[in-house]
Amino acid sequence: MKNKVALIFGYNDYALEIAKNISDKYSEIYIYSLHSEQDILKNKSNFEIRSLDLSDNWEGINENFDFENSIAFCVLENSAENVFLTISLRSLFHHLHIIALSNNKETANKLQMAGANKVIPLVQTTAEMIAEMMEKPIVKEVFHKILFESGELKITQVKINANNEYIGRGIAELDWNHKYGVIPLSMVHEDMKSEFIYSSKIKHHIIQEGDMFVIVGYETCIGDFEKLIGSRYDVNWCNWSR
Amino acid sequence: MNYFSRVIVDFVYFIHTADAYQHKKRLVYDILENSRYHYKKYFDIFMITLIFMSVAILIAEVKHEVPSEIKFFNSYVISIIFFIEYILRFWISSSVCEIIISKSEHDAMLGREFSLSRAIIKVIKAKLSFIFSFKAIIDLLAILPFFHELRLLRLFVLFRVFKLFRYATSFQIFASILYTKKFEFLILFMYASIVISVSSILIYVMEANNPASKVNTLFDAVYWSIVTIATVGYGDITPITTEGRVVAMGVIFAGISLIAFTTSIVVSALTEKLDDIREIKTIEDIRKLKGFYLICGYENVAQEVAKKLKDGVANIIVLDEDVHRLAQAKKDGLVALNYDPGDVQSYKIIGIDLNTQVKAVLCLRESDVENVYTTLTVRSISKSVNIVSLLMDDSNRNKLTFAGVNEILYPKGLVGMISKELIGRPVAFEVIHALRNDYYGVNVEEILVDDRMSQKIIYVNELNNAKFRIILLGIYKKDKKRFFFNPIDGTALETGDYLLIIGKSIFIKEFEKYLHKKIKHEK
Repeated sequence: MKNKVALIFGYNDYALEIAKNISDKYSEIYIYSLHSEQDILKNKSNFEIRSLDLSDNWEGINENFDFENSIAFCVLENSAENVFLTISLRSLFHHLHIIALSNNKETANKLQMAGANKVIPLVQTTAEMIAEMMEKPIVKEVFHKILFESGELKITQVKINANNEYIGRGIAELDWNHKYGVIPLSMVHEDMKSEFIYSSKIKHHIIQEGDMFVIVGYETCIGDFEKLIGSRYDVNWCNWSR
Repeated sequence: MNYFSRVIVDFVYFIHTADAYQHKKRLVYDILENSRYHYKKYFDIFMITLIFMSVAILIAEVKHEVPSEIKFFNSYVISIIFFIEYILRFWISSSVCEIIISKSEHDAMLGREFSLSRAIIKVIKAKLSFIFSFKAIIDLLAILPFFHELRLLRLFVLFRVFKLFRYATSFQIFASILYTKKFEFLILFMYASIVISVSSILIYVMEANNPASKVNTLFDAVYWSIVTIATVGYGDITPITTEGRVVAMGVIFAGISLIAFTTSIVVSALTEKLDDIREIKTIEDIRKLKGFYLICGYENVAQEVAKKLKDGVANIIVLDEDVHRLAQAKKDGLVALNYDPGDVQSYKIIGIDLNTQVKAVLCLRESDVENVYTTLTVRSISKSVNIVSLLMDDSNRNKLTFAGVNEILYPKGLVGMISKELIGRPVAFEVIHALRNDYYGVNVEEILVDDRMSQKIIYVNELNNAKFRIILLGIYKKDKKRFFFNPIDGTALETGDYLLIIGKSIFIKEFEKYLHKKIKHEK
């Protein structure tokens, strides 16, 4: 039986914050360090630190891991090493889901080229948050609550099941906000690309079985809505790209 | 201290602590000298107008008969206004009270008998230094046309033009620039004096005894010499002897080098001071700005934040003591000043009012030590200004809070939260991310419900947002600090509410226009 694990490459504050935040989803989290001897000594967290070198010797992690459902975070502080690590992981583990951290646009592009499924552009993301704090403080507060805090308001994706009453009707006829208290924001295509609900591209789309929508609503409303209209559908994020 | 001195010192203390007196003196100072005082510019414009009127009247008088009322206005009214201004400047030039008090306290501290006569001498010295200052002399000469009957004194009207120095900052800047080259100008003056003296004497010696020559006196020789060295050459006096012409050739060469030397001094002074001039202009412009963001430290995050805020057409001022980062800010098209954001003096020099002019201070150095220091500096100047700071190490969070930061952004924590969302709800996360960043032209905006809007649009169903393909995500009630998601049609709109809407940017603009049009239409 292979295990679903989270592998974090690099021992630093980013690694520890990531480990802390994903610990409820992954029971096995391993932090790999290039300087494991020193880091093991100063480690005060509960996470296991393992040794890593950037050679092609991956016997240490190539054990009983279910790579298709596991995830790797590349957060080495040196950009070149981070890119090298990403390309090494991708060349060996084709189905591993890799999230990498970048400090600038140039590195972000290289990380994507190296095979990272998702790149978190640290500087841009931080700047976006600050700019939003300044220019749209209410948007920031509401979205922060929806995304990062465990409030009643949730955002999720639902899939239209067979025999649904909306099958065969146009997008414009969706009245879920009045009927069920949930607001559809976008429709997700088969290639996982989303389209805003009022965009001209899907304006004339006829709803079919299997169509997927991103909706916002209170937890209770979403629960009731799922029972009536479809089912919560957790997208495998590794297939997702914007 | 004798009785008389005591009475004088007591009286001086009384005046010095009298609020009404100090308030009036402060007001006069602000109007006459304080360039940051809002109403000073109106006073300056008024005085400049008087100067131009005075000069225009002088010119008109040359060939035309000017009405007696205008003559009276020029000779008496304008002169009296200038005289009052002179007296007020004399008053505020130094504080008699402060000098006497300082002398009295100084003597008391040293255990000496207070000498009123010495204090008065100090006062006289201070006032004389004003009277003999260049600007005060010009002011005094500008009053002289008051004695209009003396024809020669009418020309003193022209001194009024020099008064423009007081009111036009650019003149003062130019004069101060030239003043920095005073040593070079002194050498130039000595060089010109030597050439003029030698050539005048030579031409006088060579030409004065020749009946055909127009050089008859030493004054003629000096006049010819100055006209020639200035490369003007009127031609009214010319040397006719060979020796005289040889002297003329020498003076011409000296004149060319003199002009070249003068030009190069002025140009080099201007070039050297160009950055200073720009900075003075920038500071003047900043003082007039309202509602801008003050970015302290221009590192990576600050660069991106500035880019984002600039896209939203926000005014941004950058303060950084590092010249390389400053150059980058200027390259990015921002107004940037080379001042240390952690120094109180910087804000005093720039003259920013943090309470009224600044929307928020962004401490974006990638060092908690620097951000804490800057925050404390800003907080020591303003208790109310909104301060946002980056936090690099979570263990320093309480230090930033204690220093007075209103909002903290911790990038490492943000990465942790994003990671959690990416493995939990990737599609939802991406949708929100796309909305926040205006990808595909779809945006999320907040619209303030103002007084007028809340009077005309009572309920949510009157918004007609669906017609504009706009999603009303909810209403944020600021007074209750609560967000009402997907409000029902009968929800009442109140002043101060915010509508959170999602839609194509172009439709959002149309929707906003519609909301305001609707109000106008129904009015």
